[in-house]
Amino acid sequence: MTGFVIQRLLLAVLVVFGVSIVTFFLTFLSGDPAALMLSADASAEQVAQFRHDWGFDDPIIVQYGRFLGRALQGDMGMSLRHGTPALPLIADRLPATFQLTLTAMAMAIFAAIPLGVISATHRGSAIDLVTMTVALVGQAIPAFWLAIMGILFFSVSLGWLPTSGRGTLLHVIMPASVLAIGLTALLTRLTRSTMLEVLSEDYVRTARAKGLRAWAVLSRHALRNALIPLVTVIGLQFGYILGGAVVIETVFTWPGVGLFTIQAITNRDYPVVQAAVLILSTAVVLINLLVDLLYGLLDPRIRVRA
Amino acid sequence: MSMVNRLFGNRVTRREAIRQTAGAVAAGLALSALPAAGVRTAEAAGIRPVQAASVLNQGSTFKMGLASEPNTFDPHLTLGRNSQILLANVFDGLTARDQNTNIIPGLATEWGYLGNGSTWQFKLREGVTFHNGDPFDANAVKFTVERAVDPAIKSTISELSGIVGADVIDPSTVQIRLKQPDILLPNRLGELFGGMLSPAHTMATDAASLATRPNGTGPFKLTEWVKNERIVLQASPNYWRGPANVSEITIRPILEDAARVAALQTGEVDYISNVPYERIGELQADPNLVVKTVPTPRVFFVSINPNVAPLNDVRVRQALNYAVDVEAIISALYLGYATRLATAVGSASFGYDPSITAYPYDPAKAKALLAEAGYPNGFSIEFDSFTGSIADHSRPAEAIAEYLRQVGIDVKLNVQEFGAFNSTKRQVNQVAPLHIYSLGDPYFEPVWALKWMQQLNLGLNYRNPEIYGLLDQAEATFDPSARAPIYSKVQQLLKDDAGFIFLFSNYAAFGMNRRVAYEPRSDETQWFHALQMM
Repeated sequence: MTGFVIQRLLLAVLVVFGVSIVTFFLTFLSGDPAALMLSADASAEQVAQFRHDWGFDDPIIVQYGRFLGRALQGDMGMSLRHGTPALPLIADRLPATFQLTLTAMAMAIFAAIPLGVISATHRGSAIDLVTMTVALVGQAIPAFWLAIMGILFFSVSLGWLPTSGRGTLLHVIMPASVLAIGLTALLTRLTRSTMLEVLSEDYVRTARAKGLRAWAVLSRHALRNALIPLVTVIGLQFGYILGGAVVIETVFTWPGVGLFTIQAITNRDYPVVQAAVLILSTAVVLINLLVDLLYGLLDPRIRVRA
Repeated sequence: MSMVNRLFGNRVTRREAIRQTAGAVAAGLALSALPAAGVRTAEAAGIRPVQAASVLNQGSTFKMGLASEPNTFDPHLTLGRNSQILLANVFDGLTARDQNTNIIPGLATEWGYLGNGSTWQFKLREGVTFHNGDPFDANAVKFTVERAVDPAIKSTISELSGIVGADVIDPSTVQIRLKQPDILLPNRLGELFGGMLSPAHTMATDAASLATRPNGTGPFKLTEWVKNERIVLQASPNYWRGPANVSEITIRPILEDAARVAALQTGEVDYISNVPYERIGELQADPNLVVKTVPTPRVFFVSINPNVAPLNDVRVRQALNYAVDVEAIISALYLGYATRLATAVGSASFGYDPSITAYPYDPAKAKALLAEAGYPNGFSIEFDSFTGSIADHSRPAEAIAEYLRQVGIDVKLNVQEFGAFNSTKRQVNQVAPLHIYSLGDPYFEPVWALKWMQQLNLGLNYRNPEIYGLLDQAEATFDPSARAPIYSKVQQLLKDDAGFIFLFSNYAAFGMNRRVAYEPRSDETQWFHALQMM
C-alpha cells in the first residue's frame, strides 16, 4: 500500500509540473502584459522599454526557465498587477473557495443520496418522475442565470439573504446552493441507477430473506455498494466544481481563488496564474488520490497493488 | 404492487424510509421548498424601507459598491483609471479640480513656469503632514517626482515621464525640470497621477506594504484592504481642508452588474458606481434611491488608416462620417446618456468649440460622395473591435459596421478579447484599416489626446501635418486665451479632413440612497471628502 501511495504521489508531482508548463505557454500565446500594464498614452517606445525591463522580450523558454528556477525555491514571484508576492495572494483565498466548494458538495451529497434512493425504491412512481425531471432541469439550467435569479428573488424581493460577498453563514447559502444544483442533479441520477442495479442483486434478496428490516437492507447492504461508483464520481466532480466555482465567485464577488485567477488571466498576471494553477492542480490531484484510497477502503475486493 | 412491497414484503417500510430520509432531504432542499406565499411584488420591494437606515442614523459611516478595485495604492504603479480614481482620497496632488473640473490649488498654492516653460516652480502649502506625522515639504515633492521616473521603480505612470528632476529652493518652494516645455505639468501633478509621497516612509517601507498600506496627506487613511472583499477608509482628523464629513467608508468591489444594483436596492450599500443604463429608470422609480449621471472625458471614435485605399480619399472618409447615425446609436445603446461630438474634443475640454457642428446622418450624401470618389458600388474593408476593457466597444462597433454596409461598404467585423487585440494587433501596429477605440482625457486640454490619436503607431495611422503643426503651436502657447483660437482651428480642420469617424463621449451613472449628499465629478475621480450623509 505504501508503495502505491508513493508511486501515485510521484505521478502527481509530474502531473502538476506538466500542467504548469502547458499553462505558462498557453497564457503567453495571447501576448505579454507590458501593453496592458502601461497607461493608454504610453508610446510604443515606452512599451518596448517596459517590456525589456521586465524581461518579457526574452524567449519563452528563457522566461519559463527563470520562473522554474525561482519556483523550485518556493518563490512564485511578485504579482505583476498587485506588486505583492503571488503565492500568498492565492493561498490566502483558498479558505474562501474551499468553504464554497465543500459546502456545495455537502449540500449536493446530502440531497442527492436520499433523493436517489427514494427514486430507486419508488421506481416508476410519481415521486420518481418528478425527481428525475427536476434533476434534468437542474443539470440543464445555466448556473449564471440561476445565480442572478437567486439574487433578485431571495435578496431584493424577499430580503432573506445578502446579495453578494462573503461574511456570515447567510452569505454562503446562495452561492453554495447554486453551485450544488448541477452536482445534485448528476448525483441523484447516478445514485438512482446504481441503487437500482444493486437492489436487483442476489445478496439483497438474501438479506431480505434473512428477515432484515428494509431500512437495514438499504443502509447496510445496498447503499454501501451503491456508494462505490458514487465516491469515484464525487472525486472527479471536485475538479469540475472548482471550475464552476469561478462563475459563481464572479457573480457573487465571492473572494475565492477562482475570481482572483480569472482577473489575473485577463490582466496577464503570469506569476499569479502560475501560482493558482499550481495550487489548484495539486488540490485536484490530491483529492483524486484520496478517492482512490477510499475506494479501496469501501470495497474489500479491490486491493490496489503497487 | 410497488417494488418496495415486492422486495420487502408487507411490512411496509416505505413510510418509515421516507420519514427518515425526509429530514436529510429537507436540509438540501430547503431553498426549493420555500412557499410562494412570501413573495412580494416589485413595487412592494421598492417601498420596503432601506435596510441600512439604522446604519445611517448612527452617524457617519458609509458603504459603497464599486464595479472595480484598484490594483495598488502606490501612485506610481497604478494600472488604469479604475485604480487611479480612488487615490485622491488617500493622497493629494500639487493641484486638484473643483466640481466644474477647473484646476485649483492642492498641496501647491501657486505655480508658474520659468523661461521657456521647461521648468515650473510651485509654492507649497505649509503645515501639512502625512498620516504618519511626516512633514510635507519641497523634499517630498522632489522625492516623489524623481521616484516616478526612476527606472528601478518601473513606474506605469507614463504621464510623468517628461520630468527630468526637481530642485528644492526652500522648504516650501520647489522647481521641477522637464525634458521640454510642457503646458500640462500642473494637470499632470493633480489627483490622478501626482499623489505626493513621504520620502522617509517610502524609503523605509517594502514594496508590498507601499501598495497596501499607503501613507498620504489626503482626507482618508486606508486602514484595511482585503482584495475582492473590502477597502476601509477612515477620515484623517488633521486633514488640511478640514476633516471629512463621514468618519468611515467601506468600499466593496461588486463586479457583477446585477449584484451591484441589487446591493443598492436592498440597502446593503449606500452608493454604487457604473449603473447600467438599462437599470437607471428602475432605480429612479424607487423612492429611496436617486441616480446621478455625469459626462465623462472618455471620447469614442473609429480610427481610419489613410494608407489603405480608398481611405486615402477625404471624400471617402467624409462619406463614412455621413453614413453613421450616431444619434440613433446614442439613443438605442446608451439610452441617451452620451454626448454627440463633432470631433474628438470633449465638451468639457478647454477650447471646445460648440460652433463646429457634427456630421449629420445623411446616407444619400455618403453614397454620393463614394460615387464621386469612384466607388459607386462601395468597397470591402476590415473593421476591428474588442470585448472587455474599460468600456463597451463591441456593441457600438456592430452598429457602425451595419450603417456602413447600408451605404454599400462591405465591412468584415473582427471581434477579439481586449488583451489579445492589444498584444496581437495594436502593439505591432497591425490593426485593420478601421478600428474602434476610446480615450479618456485626464487633462481636459485637447492637445495631448489629439496628438496621441495621430501618433502613427498602435494602429493610429492618420496624421494631418497642418493639424499637428497647430497642436505643436498650442503646446508652446502658455497663455490660455491665445490657445483657445488655435484649438478652434484644429477642430474645424479635424472635422473637414475626417481623419476619424467621430462619435460621442458617454456618461457615467451613479446610484445612491437619498440620504447621500454627493455630486459625482465628471473627471471620473471619486473624491469623498465632501460627501455627507443627511
